Amino acid sequence: MRRPLLILVAAGVLAAALIGLVVREDRARTAGTEVLLAMQPLDPRSLLSGHYVIVDIVHPVPGACPLSGRGRDGWIALSPRGRTHEVTGNGATREAAARKGRLAVRGAAYCVSGGGPQEIVQLRLRGVDRFHADQDEAQSIEKALDASRTGPAQVFAIVSVGADGQARLKGLEVNGRRTELSWF
Amino acid sequence: MASYRTRLSQDLDRWIAAGLVPAASREAMLAGVEEPRRVDAATALAVVGALLAGAAVIAFVAANWDGLARIVRFGLILAAFAATAGGGAWAAWKQRPVLTNSLLALAALIYAGAIGLSGQIFDIAGHPQAALRGAGLAAFVLALAGRSSGAAIVALALIGLGDMAGGGPGAPRDLWRWEAAAAPAGMALAWFWRSRPLAHAAGLAIVIAWLTLPGERDSWRMLLTAVVFGLLAGLARWRRDEPVARDLLGWLIVGALAAFALAGAEAGELSLVHRGALLLLSAGVVGWGRHDRHDLLTAVGVIGMLGTVSLILFDLGLGLMAAAGVFAVCALTALGVGLALRRSAPP
Repeated sequence: MRRPLLILVAAGVLAAALIGLVVREDRARTAGTEVLLAMQPLDPRSLLSGHYVIVDIVHPVPGACPLSGRGRDGWIALSPRGRTHEVTGNGATREAAARKGRLAVRGAAYCVSGGGPQEIVQLRLRGVDRFHADQDEAQSIEKALDASRTGPAQVFAIVSVGADGQARLKGLEVNGRRTELSWF
Repeated sequence: MASYRTRLSQDLDRWIAAGLVPAASREAMLAGVEEPRRVDAATALAVVGALLAGAAVIAFVAANWDGLARIVRFGLILAAFAATAGGGAWAAWKQRPVLTNSLLALAALIYAGAIGLSGQIFDIAGHPQAALRGAGLAAFVLALAGRSSGAAIVALALIGLGDMAGGGPGAPRDLWRWEAAAAPAGMALAWFWRSRPLAHAAGLAIVIAWLTLPGERDSWRMLLTAVVFGLLAGLARWRRDEPVARDLLGWLIVGALAAFALAGAEAGELSLVHRGALLLLSAGVVGWGRHDRHDLLTAVGVIGMLGTVSLILFDLGLGLMAAAGVFAVCALTALGVGLALRRSAPP
């Protein structure tokens, strides 16, 4: 009788661990500071892991590149500009990055040529990679991303920056309509 | 292939005819041997029906996956895991070890899938290495709880894949292979559970893990690894009456020869000495394999000898004619030694 009980206890612990992980991530996502970050279109989509959109965060740089060092993974400083946030600096430590912006978040950033006189900043946030959606939703997001190639950004990543400096994706805002990750 | 009962029946007829066994004992002896279970048509159809029903459920869920609420999707994968693990517990209660083993192995695989799917459902980004290693640990927990060699094999595979996946961008450099510790644990479980499949899986895992440890692969480290493999092989040989000892012995010798070969990769001036030693060791393994009637050992020794000869030819930069001469000398030596052994063997 002992072995069946052991199996059930082990399975229960493992299921509880998985549930706990999901609940913890949801709580951290809800409790963090919400920021809006402009996205740019990026191909392709994978057919194997369902429909999803790669979250590629970029914005133009008004003046000189605000980053020191190129592409180093560390801490990125974000500051509000209108209703969105933009990269205003980086640092090897959280304190160094926090001196250059309102928020410090874990990730990496790069200044790249935008093809014109203006440089653009590309932001890679640790913990923010892709947004899974059903086929219809993924296609409408893709359409909005394509439209933002020639016009102003229409798709924004809604990111929650937790007390631990970790970014978590809350959802996307597409043409003013929010699609948030929830239990339903 | 004829069942044991059929073969025994034929043997008994022969023994009775030779006067070795009394005819009156025939039926009593056959009655003591169980007829092998035969799967009738109804059972076979039931199994096929169950498999097809499972496939139908999976296809239905996959077709409607996007339309399901996240909580429902998460609930489905948890339910699948709970059902297989619960089935394993039921099978253990009914004392059906093969079914328990199979269901727990399946539960381990489903849990690994559940980790990945949960990340997809709730857009939780994470490192594949952490997910695979976590799934491997979960599989080990199930293996220990249910004494399941299948789940243990799944654990070794997942942890090995996790080691290969790497930590991803920004992750600290991996200084260890989890498989380097998991594989010996798997070998220990194979020993105590007397599981030959697990012994083979753990043997393969320990060879790969110990030979590919991160860090400087210098000669002394490889030599030490070869010695450790050799000591473990000696232990397996000493306990060769154990069911899995022969399987473990084969893999440990593979590891020992491979580590010794790698130890001489940068032998420099000592390379010829190293190649000679490797050749002798390989020949010794061939002899050992023949003595113990251990086919894997014999094969490993032969491959070792062929590899060493190729290595020598590569070192010396010899052309085809010289290679033919070297192979001819080796062949004559092997034939001569074999003939001498045959002549000196007692009649």
